[in-house]
Amino acid sequence: MASEYEVIALNDDEKERLHRCYDDLMSLSQSKIPSVRAAAREAVASVAQALNGQGLRYELYTNNWSD
Amino acid sequence: MRVQLPKRYWNPVTETLPRDELAALQWGKLQTQLEHLYQHSAFYRQRMDAAGCPPDQIRSLDDYFKRFPILFRDDITKAELEDPPYGTLAAVDPKHAVFHHQTSGSTGAPPIRTFDTARDWTWVSDMWGTALTGAGVREGDRAIAAFGYALFIGFWGAHYGIQRMGAQMLSTGGLDTEKRIELIMDLGVNVFLTTPTYALRVAQVAKQMGVDLAKDSPITLVVTSGEPRPESTRKIVGDAFDAYIADTAGMTEVGTVVMFECVDDPGGMHIIETDVIEEVLDSETREPVGYGEQGVRVMTALGREGISVLRYWTNDLVIKQPHTKCRCGRTWDIYEGGIRGRADHLRKVRGVWFTPIMVEDLVRSKFPDVDEFQIKLAKVQGIDALIIQLEPAIGVPRERYDDLHERFAVEAKRALTLTPEVEVVSPGTLPRFEMKAKRFEDVRQLADR
Repeated sequence: MASEYEVIALNDDEKERLHRCYDDLMSLSQSKIPSVRAAAREAVASVAQALNGQGLRYELYTNNWSD
Repeated sequence: MRVQLPKRYWNPVTETLPRDELAALQWGKLQTQLEHLYQHSAFYRQRMDAAGCPPDQIRSLDDYFKRFPILFRDDITKAELEDPPYGTLAAVDPKHAVFHHQTSGSTGAPPIRTFDTARDWTWVSDMWGTALTGAGVREGDRAIAAFGYALFIGFWGAHYGIQRMGAQMLSTGGLDTEKRIELIMDLGVNVFLTTPTYALRVAQVAKQMGVDLAKDSPITLVVTSGEPRPESTRKIVGDAFDAYIADTAGMTEVGTVVMFECVDDPGGMHIIETDVIEEVLDSETREPVGYGEQGVRVMTALGREGISVLRYWTNDLVIKQPHTKCRCGRTWDIYEGGIRGRADHLRKVRGVWFTPIMVEDLVRSKFPDVDEFQIKLAKVQGIDALIIQLEPAIGVPRERYDDLHERFAVEAKRALTLTPEVEVVSPGTLPRFEMKAKRFEDVRQLADR
């Protein structure tokens, strides 16, 4: 069926950047500095959702945090 | 004039996945969920062991549908009582929660209490981003949601979802209906999130205020949620606002919206199938029913880590249709007509099946002179009696009440194939609702009237 909607996808470079963002933020999520930890945890949740939404990566990660 | 709303996907890739790839994505996520819950949730570990289906022994989606036990509301409330407040379902320590919400408990049943981690809450708002983008919301829009901003989930997720999308959200929790209407007019609010019942209430109050919402209000989109919404109600709301009406549905147990009506008006709601797996089962046999057949939706939510529901018997009555019924290009199947009622409201009255939405459809489609109604099932001299109270619209003269009574009794008998007792009450007598309307009561188990 014809659609008026635009189907656009990430290219390989963008995918790699998204994965890298996620890994970097995940490691900062364990920072001992409260403001950095809070920012990283909020941001990693958003990036995790971007990965999930693109069907690239799906992790249930909060139990990995040691605090 | 009704404007053409913009068309866009929130996630173009996953919204247009071929069905076999969609099933593979669901299966991958489900495996992760099963492993997570087996490791971290006492409730699910016990449940999987008892049913003989730990994660490594569930081989496919079909195998999961056949063998995994169905979860009922009572199972959740029992688990919560065992270890309050969140129960043994939790798979993440509640110290990581950033949000709490619960059902009202107004039915007398214990409330369901649930929480979201930061990751979960982002998923919740992103699900709303999916639904609202599909419904035509965009950056730069200005929205209000009519609910109390309290413990009930209501439109909390939508509030955050709209912010996530880059649109503006005005919180109106403490405002009454008149103030909300003034705000809509003064600030150019163009998106209104509400229950269908409250949309009708706003239309009535605006009329009393001398505001012509269809002609003068900036609203271009009314997003409804929280109640089944027959087509007749949609038409009244659409005409009152001269706006596009998009339905959505979710539930407290999953914390967010799971289906939505897109701008292409498919006559139902697309299921967000990347994040929920929806089965439709016969309400009696619990066997799967096919496309086009009515059954109860059974939901597996894939997005949350704190508290998950797997094969949850929602009691929502639905009819699934293939995605090809819609021209938007999404590969997500559709619930035709949205949520069509509640299986737990389905009653046999003097040998005839009855559900309250049949009365709503009758009132909204044929009785513009009725503002509000209530339905009661009672025993009268040992026999089931359906009692319908009607509240006429303000301005209907009392001398026309008998005529209304007579017309409604005739139409109701035809539509319901039952003869109800009809009572016409004075304006302002029946309760009004902001969130979920409660218009049905079955008191047959109580003393004879």
